[in-house]
Amino acid sequence: MEKQQSSGSDSPALPPVLPRKPRTIGGGNSASRQDSVDSIDSPTGSHVEWCKQLIAATISSQISGTLPPEAVTRECKFQDSGEEHGYQCDSDSELPSRTPQVFGGVRRQAPMDEVPLFPGETIKTTVKDVMYICPFTGAVTGTLTVTDYKLYFISLERDTPFVLDVNLGAISRLETISVQSHGENTNGMEIVCKDMRSPRFAHKKEEQSKLEILDTLTKHAFPLSNDLPLFAFQYKEEFPEDGWKVYDPVAEYKRMGLPNESWTINKSNINYEVCNTYPALFVTPTSIKDDEIKRMASFRAKHRIPVLSWIHPETQATIVRCSQPMVGPTDHRCKEDEHYLQTIVDANAQSHKLTIFDARQYTVADNHKAKDGGYENENFYPNMELNFLEMPNIHVMRESLRKLKEVVYPTIDELHWHSAIDATHWLEYIRLLLAGAARIADKVESSKCSVVVHCSDGWDRTAQLTSLSMLMLDSYYRTLRGFQVLLEKEWISFGHKFAARVGHGDENHSNSERSPLFVQFIDCVWQMMRQFPTAFEFNELFLITILDHLYSCLFGTFLYNSEQERVEKKVNSKTVSLWSYVNSLPEDFSNPFYVDYENHVLYPLASIRHLELWVGYYVRWNPRMRPQMPVHQNLKELLYLRAELQRKVEELQKEVSSSRSISSSSEHAYSPSHGGTPLHTSV
Amino acid sequence: MLTGSKTTFKVRQMVPDMKERMLSHSSVNARGRDVLGLCCLPGECVLQRAVLVRKKLSANEGGGWLSGTLFCTHFRVAFVPQNSRKPDENTDPVLLGDHDVALASIDKVVAVGPSRSKLVTPNCTLKFTPEELVLYCRDLRVLCFLFDRLTPDTQAVEITYTIAKTYQPLKPGTILSFQNAALGSIEMKQFLSNRRRDLDMNWFECSSDWEQELERTGATGWRVCSVNDRFEMSTSLPRFNVVPQRVLDTELKKTFAHFNEGRIPRWCWRHPCGSDLLRMASFQNNIYHEKDDIRNLELVLFGGQQLCVIVDLGEEVPSPADIQLAHTRLQTLCLGDISSSVSVPDDKWLSTLETTRWLDYTRCCLRKATEVACLLRGGHMTVVLQEPEDRDMNCVVCSLVQVMCDPHCRTVAGFQGLLQKEWITAGHKFLSRINYNRDSDKEEAPVFLLFLDCVWQLWVQYPARFQLTEDYLLTLHDSVHLPLFSSCLANCQRDRCRRSQHLPQSYTPVNGLRELPMGPSEEPVDPPFPPVWDWALQYSSQRRARFTQPVSQPVCAPPVLNGNLNTNVDRSWHNDGLPGSVFLLSRSSFSCPSNLLPWRSGNSGSYWKSHRRAPSSEGLSGLERLIRAYSLSETSDSTTTLHDPYEPLLPLLLGPCVRVWRGCYLRGALHAQAFSHPMSSCNQHPLEQLAREVQQLRDKLAQASDRPPENQSKRQELRRLESNLNQNANNGTFLFSSSSRTSQQQPLAGRGPAQSSILPRAQRTASDPPRAAQRNNGKHTFLFGHQESQSVPRYMPTPSAKFPKHKGNSH
Repeated sequence: MEKQQSSGSDSPALPPVLPRKPRTIGGGNSASRQDSVDSIDSPTGSHVEWCKQLIAATISSQISGTLPPEAVTRECKFQDSGEEHGYQCDSDSELPSRTPQVFGGVRRQAPMDEVPLFPGETIKTTVKDVMYICPFTGAVTGTLTVTDYKLYFISLERDTPFVLDVNLGAISRLETISVQSHGENTNGMEIVCKDMRSPRFAHKKEEQSKLEILDTLTKHAFPLSNDLPLFAFQYKEEFPEDGWKVYDPVAEYKRMGLPNESWTINKSNINYEVCNTYPALFVTPTSIKDDEIKRMASFRAKHRIPVLSWIHPETQATIVRCSQPMVGPTDHRCKEDEHYLQTIVDANAQSHKLTIFDARQYTVADNHKAKDGGYENENFYPNMELNFLEMPNIHVMRESLRKLKEVVYPTIDELHWHSAIDATHWLEYIRLLLAGAARIADKVESSKCSVVVHCSDGWDRTAQLTSLSMLMLDSYYRTLRGFQVLLEKEWISFGHKFAARVGHGDENHSNSERSPLFVQFIDCVWQMMRQFPTAFEFNELFLITILDHLYSCLFGTFLYNSEQERVEKKVNSKTVSLWSYVNSLPEDFSNPFYVDYENHVLYPLASIRHLELWVGYYVRWNPRMRPQMPVHQNLKELLYLRAELQRKVEELQKEVSSSRSISSSSEHAYSPSHGGTPLHTSV
Repeated sequence: MLTGSKTTFKVRQMVPDMKERMLSHSSVNARGRDVLGLCCLPGECVLQRAVLVRKKLSANEGGGWLSGTLFCTHFRVAFVPQNSRKPDENTDPVLLGDHDVALASIDKVVAVGPSRSKLVTPNCTLKFTPEELVLYCRDLRVLCFLFDRLTPDTQAVEITYTIAKTYQPLKPGTILSFQNAALGSIEMKQFLSNRRRDLDMNWFECSSDWEQELERTGATGWRVCSVNDRFEMSTSLPRFNVVPQRVLDTELKKTFAHFNEGRIPRWCWRHPCGSDLLRMASFQNNIYHEKDDIRNLELVLFGGQQLCVIVDLGEEVPSPADIQLAHTRLQTLCLGDISSSVSVPDDKWLSTLETTRWLDYTRCCLRKATEVACLLRGGHMTVVLQEPEDRDMNCVVCSLVQVMCDPHCRTVAGFQGLLQKEWITAGHKFLSRINYNRDSDKEEAPVFLLFLDCVWQLWVQYPARFQLTEDYLLTLHDSVHLPLFSSCLANCQRDRCRRSQHLPQSYTPVNGLRELPMGPSEEPVDPPFPPVWDWALQYSSQRRARFTQPVSQPVCAPPVLNGNLNTNVDRSWHNDGLPGSVFLLSRSSFSCPSNLLPWRSGNSGSYWKSHRRAPSSEGLSGLERLIRAYSLSETSDSTTTLHDPYEPLLPLLLGPCVRVWRGCYLRGALHAQAFSHPMSSCNQHPLEQLAREVQQLRDKLAQASDRPPENQSKRQELRRLESNLNQNANNGTFLFSSSSRTSQQQPLAGRGPAQSSILPRAQRTASDPPRAAQRNNGKHTFLFGHQESQSVPRYMPTPSAKFPKHKGNSH
């Protein structure tokens, strides 16, 4: 992705100059690309104006919440205009010193003709006179470079250097296309990406390099299919923070108050023998013995037995996740399983019921019986109430996103925009997901009732639902760190099959295992963020960064299918965690307006009327979507102003109180950000 | 009061027992009076009351429920929250409280029972006790009141009936009685006649107003002419119009006949690059063109410029009928089918939205305006908007162009001036288009609402460039639905002037009127109608405070009056040297049809030969470049874009960029809830939180500077510190351009807002209390305070002992 452009550009300097790092990845990725992609425009800078606008933003609108962070990246565009540069520095002079350096740094360190490289990245091939067929501004000719991490195209044809930067991990497939319109003897190549774009290139047939480039590209875009390692294992960047330490299951369970008298941390899976897709540690009822667990494991698909995901700090109502029971056509029973679920009911004194949410459509669940799967028979589980959330399967989601891509890239039919979006059903599925998660959260919060969530295997829709409802219920997960923990726990450690769903380094683009479930989840988070703009400590840039690195293979975080595989491949020691990068630059990813609504439950409105397409992500390649203001950057400055004022007030108060004895009135402690009005929730 | 059985109530005639049913009259008190907890307007009386009612709060208000008492008066349905503060006896009457809705805004009344809901009409019978009362309003609000189990059934039933019977379906008679209920009492009349006009805005009602505008925009070569002073030349034009200086009044008079309704080309605005924006109606074709006439017509069209581009708004843009249809569909979509309480299913929502075409029309208007805005950048030309009637789309496009190009029009005062100029005095047919009297169904079309939507689209894309806020637009949207304001109660300035001069003749009294209790005066005389801009009359100060951004915009230096204009304008296209080229802009392309100007077309004959020539292709391509620059600028904003305040705000018009004004149209989407929980959107804008903190800090600074009054030196120091702070603000965050501080031309606005709020505060403790009170209310605070010009209340609150206490509490 182009982001790398900026990131790349910075990267050489990265290690020594920490400050400027920030933009490297995150910033660059989302936005810079736009500029580079199509814009011929001069880099504007107009930082000053933005700052003014910030204020505007201040007051004004929800828009600020939703604005794509791309704006920020505009700064990173390539520009050489010295004047502007000077200007910016000027304007920034009073700001915390970091910002100007960032901008300055970027520019200085990105010589136009050099390909910016990450530590550990090597250039594999370079081809000149390649034509990039830009769907927005027409064809440009320039130099194409392929490294083992990215594809980098630069054209100096126009006034402003034009850069296109696609990381190889994002490539879904490479296709040869016919480009007759661009001249005879020309070969075309379309690079279909997972992140909603498909850049096209053309080059002359005679050149031998042509073949070479396609080969190199294929080889490095799909390293696993070509017996090469993923780039994450070569990436040598060092960060001050160690992201691998973010999630410690024991600490996280302790935060929830576990173990307690009813629940215990079970170590029977320490060698992944009970269930190879579960983490080494999970929480089960105290009274259940390990051999019982082993016996009931065969009754749950893939041995994914019911384990605790979250426990309500007051009511002790729990969210429990598992896979479908292997009921089969003959309504097979399992005493241990029944007993187990009853134990879960008993662990919660507030309710004598257990609600089971089956994410699937009823008919589908019923069909699974023929394949030995199925759902809990309420006759055998007397205190259970079974609900179906009617969510379609991963193939439907994949198809929906594919249609969405057709709608948003490359061109948008504005007359039929809305009906086209409707036809993809993408928002409809987002709605289903949010509504389902809200039902779960409501059950736990209002009915104080424990819930069991499962789908078929308990690693796709189940992960979506449990993590979303936990996000609604627990304000900790709405912090920057907490969200990382949530992902590490519910998604990564509990075996969402990232490798299979994303297809890291794999050539087989039509693999039916692929599906954008995680994207869908992040979209839901974004929708919640839009509805509760102050409730999340992180910002949109953070979400986009996560999605970019879901594909990029730069970090080890999302690689492989299960904890067991990750341990085998020594991911923790051989790769860098995405959170290392994020947590080294937390201010870039934080929402300045975050108010910790502790213990408040957020119920998002799950109606299409109140959902919006996440334009900042799905349509970000379209240069016409250029955002109007870099709210992200601006807000920071408002915060800075506040800090400054706060300091002044303190000084003055000291001054005043020293000059005359002051009544107590002046000391009322100023409460920083947490004085806000509480959310109206049903808490 | 009950007749019939417990659950069935016969509808009674309203008029006979009106007197008896009135719970109370408010006393004859100019300030209005507190009646049963409701602060009534003078002459207003409470018809019915229900206690222990809960009002459902919209997402904007924070969601959830608010309990209190529900009232129905002749004028409004009022809701008083339980622990609301006692209204101050000394405050001016305010028509609508924060939770009130005027009866004339109500469109439908629906009672929801245990198992069913019913549309309540004046003559229907309820067979159940309502648990919930839903009021659907014309302005797309939906108010929902929930009766408690402890609410006496009779009250629930009676108030439902009362509202159903008294809410006025808009008809001539009911309108008048509604107007009287609001403004008809003697006290109100007196009060209204003493209202001062808002002097911050330009009313465009006298010639000096226009001169001021000419001066503001730096337009030269134009003058204000008063040939239409008595509306003799054109009945629908304003009394004063701006025409080229070179045309004499006598010559000008002859041109009126050449235009539909006599709406000659009139100057509207000058772009800082030197182009002028004009508007006119279509040409009268069947008229003989005298040689002298032609000269004058050309003069009028070209002003002093060499080039004239006529922008045809007759086609491409939606017709009023289209707009009406789209709006009706939109309304149905957003509110659902009220009677059957069926709404569009979620999965069809977007497609149905698309079929309303409302967003298409918004985009279309914005696109037209964008083209014109880009064209104006060329300089040295007149751009003339032409529409057959010059009273609908011309208003929309002309004012949109100015909102895009002129930062002044993005302030509240400037925006109101703009609407006075391009809509109200220019003769937009508000009365017919809004159709209050339900007597012009064929003409009804919410053209103005479409315009507001367009402005909102701009606002949402460039919120930082506006001083006004979404709240302001929303309030204006709602106020337009009230038949109370002179601004919207006439079709043209002539009607407006007439009514204010001959009040008694213009309306005939209605019979039923006398039965309405109106205080001591039984004379059915039209109340004086205030202009819609009298916001202090309509809404509480808290609500008004939300009309503007806490931080005001940097005021840009006014354009240079002469010389030095157009320094960087691409002049290549007007080098063709021939004066008087005229082009038509239609469907985004330029052409030069021979019959564009009727007097230049072959048949009229008297047009001198020398002027007849082939359209210069050079000129055409130059113009097209200007427009293309626009589409380019969509992808690349040049460096100037953000620095030059006059660079137009060009909206993105791509599919995802034109959005539904959820805050307006979906206010009533009660059914959208995930489930029955009160919804939990954040009511406060995230920034409000921060804004409040900054304000608190500033207060604290002010407080610190106030405390040791004897210690002058300390105070000085504080001041200095504060100005340092401003400095910081300037350099560090560019809150205010430095030019704004040095600009002496607008002393009030020109001051950096931070200064304007800090300095006066130190001096002015008396006006501080309202601020403190506001803070106590937790309503809305400002980052840096408003410009002082706005916070000067019309009535200074008498400082009372209460205030210091408040202040004390707040700290």
